[in-house]
Amino acid sequence: MNQTRRTFLATGAAATAALGMPAILRAQPSEYVIGASLPLTGPFATAGQLVAPVFTMARQLINDEGGIAGTPIRFVTEDSGYIPQNALANYQRALATEGDALVAYFGDSTGFMKLVAPELTGDQARLMGSTSFASELANPATNPYQYLAGPTYQDQFDILLQNIKDQGGSSVAFIFSNTEFGRDPIEHGKMRAEELGIEVVLEETTKAQGADIPTHVTKLAQSGAEYAILQGYVTGVWPQLIGGARQFGLPTQFMGTFWGMEKLIADRVTEEAGPFLDGYQGVMPYRYFYDREDAPRYQTFAAMASEMFAGTPLENYMSTWALQTMCALDIAIKALRDTAEAGQELTADNLSAALSGISDWDTGGFFGGPVTMENNKIGTGRVYQYSAESRLFTPTSDWFTV
Amino acid sequence: MITGNLKASYAADERVLDNGYKQGFVLAAAALCALMPFIANDYIILVASQMGIMLIAVVGVNVVIGYTGLLSLGHAAFMAIGAYSVPILHRAMAAAGLPDAIMPFIAIPGAIALSALVGIVVGLPSLRVKGLYLAVATLSANFIIIFLIELEALAPWTGGLVGLNTPDANLLGWELDTQREMFALIAALAFVTILAVQNLFRTRVGRAFIAIRERDYSAEILGISLLRYKLMSFAISAACCGLAGALFAYFYARILPEQFELALSLQLVAALIVGGMGRTMGPVFGVIIIVMVPEILKFTFGAIAGGAAEVAQLRAPIQEIIFGLLIIFFLLFEPMGINHLVDRGLRALNRWPFARG
Repeated sequence: MNQTRRTFLATGAAATAALGMPAILRAQPSEYVIGASLPLTGPFATAGQLVAPVFTMARQLINDEGGIAGTPIRFVTEDSGYIPQNALANYQRALATEGDALVAYFGDSTGFMKLVAPELTGDQARLMGSTSFASELANPATNPYQYLAGPTYQDQFDILLQNIKDQGGSSVAFIFSNTEFGRDPIEHGKMRAEELGIEVVLEETTKAQGADIPTHVTKLAQSGAEYAILQGYVTGVWPQLIGGARQFGLPTQFMGTFWGMEKLIADRVTEEAGPFLDGYQGVMPYRYFYDREDAPRYQTFAAMASEMFAGTPLENYMSTWALQTMCALDIAIKALRDTAEAGQELTADNLSAALSGISDWDTGGFFGGPVTMENNKIGTGRVYQYSAESRLFTPTSDWFTV
Repeated sequence: MITGNLKASYAADERVLDNGYKQGFVLAAAALCALMPFIANDYIILVASQMGIMLIAVVGVNVVIGYTGLLSLGHAAFMAIGAYSVPILHRAMAAAGLPDAIMPFIAIPGAIALSALVGIVVGLPSLRVKGLYLAVATLSANFIIIFLIELEALAPWTGGLVGLNTPDANLLGWELDTQREMFALIAALAFVTILAVQNLFRTRVGRAFIAIRERDYSAEILGISLLRYKLMSFAISAACCGLAGALFAYFYARILPEQFELALSLQLVAALIVGGMGRTMGPVFGVIIIVMVPEILKFTFGAIAGGAAEVAQLRAPIQEIIFGLLIIFFLLFEPMGINHLVDRGLRALNRWPFARG
């Protein structure tokens, strides 16, 4: 074929388009992607399956609000089976398939967050929230791209101990599961209790699911603790431990942290085993979903849920786990929007800077008031108490910020 | 009509790869592994590395279950020993003032030796009990070792429940700080392990293992010391798992005790059964099925159905069911493992058009 001026120009234009197109696409993808690993099978499948619908709602809501500076978002969700290596593979698969369009990720466990943390360097780094409240993650120096959508377990212990102090309590027992999750705040809690003049009269480790519980109840009775804080359980030990203590006639006030504060579980236990949870207290970073009078964001969720999930249990109630996920996504979106609106690229470093810059932010009602991201976490929460009669957790303290 | 391959010398008879197709397969696999660090994306490197680590461990499990006929459900513990040895030895060597560049040359053999030693201890019950009883004994060894790792008193060394951050391997100044570089080391060591174990079964020791598998009393009458060879089998097997564990520690940035629990032991045995017990390539095919197929399923389903959460909610259990059905299918239609299936295929290819496997 003869090379004429016309064919030369046409070839040149085609080549430029072919070479230049990926660069244009990289600079401005048609949609941004947020990846997520959820335990949709395995030991925490119940939680994963309850949380999954939140992503459908979040996508619609965020895109209706204009996405990220006009660019819509899409979620890529994958099952991890609650195995950290699987979640890591999911993350790297999302990086490989979505490339620069992947701007943030949502992890499913402390194990995954710790496993992935050292991998988050250079072009492998993405802004990352998760279900974890592990204290170790709240450290921008070592984990600059990871954040907590609430207070650490240590913060939650601080809130509970302060509440005990305010109520005039003087002795406490720490009962925790023999897991990383269970042990996380114990040492810190002991120090804090000492500072507040509260005596830790018992430290008791149990399995995550109740075994040999009567022994623990006896020890609790011998310790004479006024308060007992349970840490590192999701559903496991309420009937055996609290039910057992009530049968024993112990007046101990039981308390829990975030994962031990789900109304659905408390209701089910009450239904099946009796009203012994009445008066159980614990710390929650967020308002409960039914407490939405001063929470416009919750009102929006409620309106959407009644339409999107009509005929399912999610129609009228969002679990605390779902709220945590939604809050984590809202924080990521806030960082993404702030960065995009400042005209910066959505790199992990820019997003991390935007994250640290979140200050006096009105979340629309998740928390008691405007919140500030300090050390990549939001250290606020308040104490709630469960009523077996009304089947509601109601606040018994003001919002604490630690 | 071709009815077999002519072997005109002992050397030909003893060849590991006794037909052209097998040679082609192995050479192609080696070439692919050599090329992968240059062409594959990070995700493929991650999955390939996971497969390499698992392969080394399953080759080890094959020694004790496949070749010696001793059922073990505790091999994840040996991987744990290997994995935890690496950061602990690195710390000790750093305290002794050794340079980073030689640490892996001590830490990897150290991890292997330590795992072999623990393997001998765990293998002791095999002298008294067999079959399911031995499986339970080894299973409890797994629980005991994980319990010890999680023990608060040992936490200054093991990190307890929280786990340990692991160092990068530094080979004489070449720091393997990316997964891509680690893949090169894993692939090389996986090849060396398979070759070493394959050759083991061309020696007196390997034949003694097989004799024990076939009938241990008869083997003893023939002069094979059961004490010596059963423990040796456990030691070699645990050593391979120790190597896999050491590479696991170098590959991942952190190790947690929960990564080495019963589920991993079962996965190792499942890979061996699906791949083909007592065969060199059995672990290779088993690992492909156990590690790669779930990833392929996720990838394919993701591409077809999309990654939206409401779809993932449904397809996650379906993927699990399909994976389970696949394993049942393989076991039903080829109880001798995929290795046998592939053998039949390659044999048919070799003798085509005269025979069909």
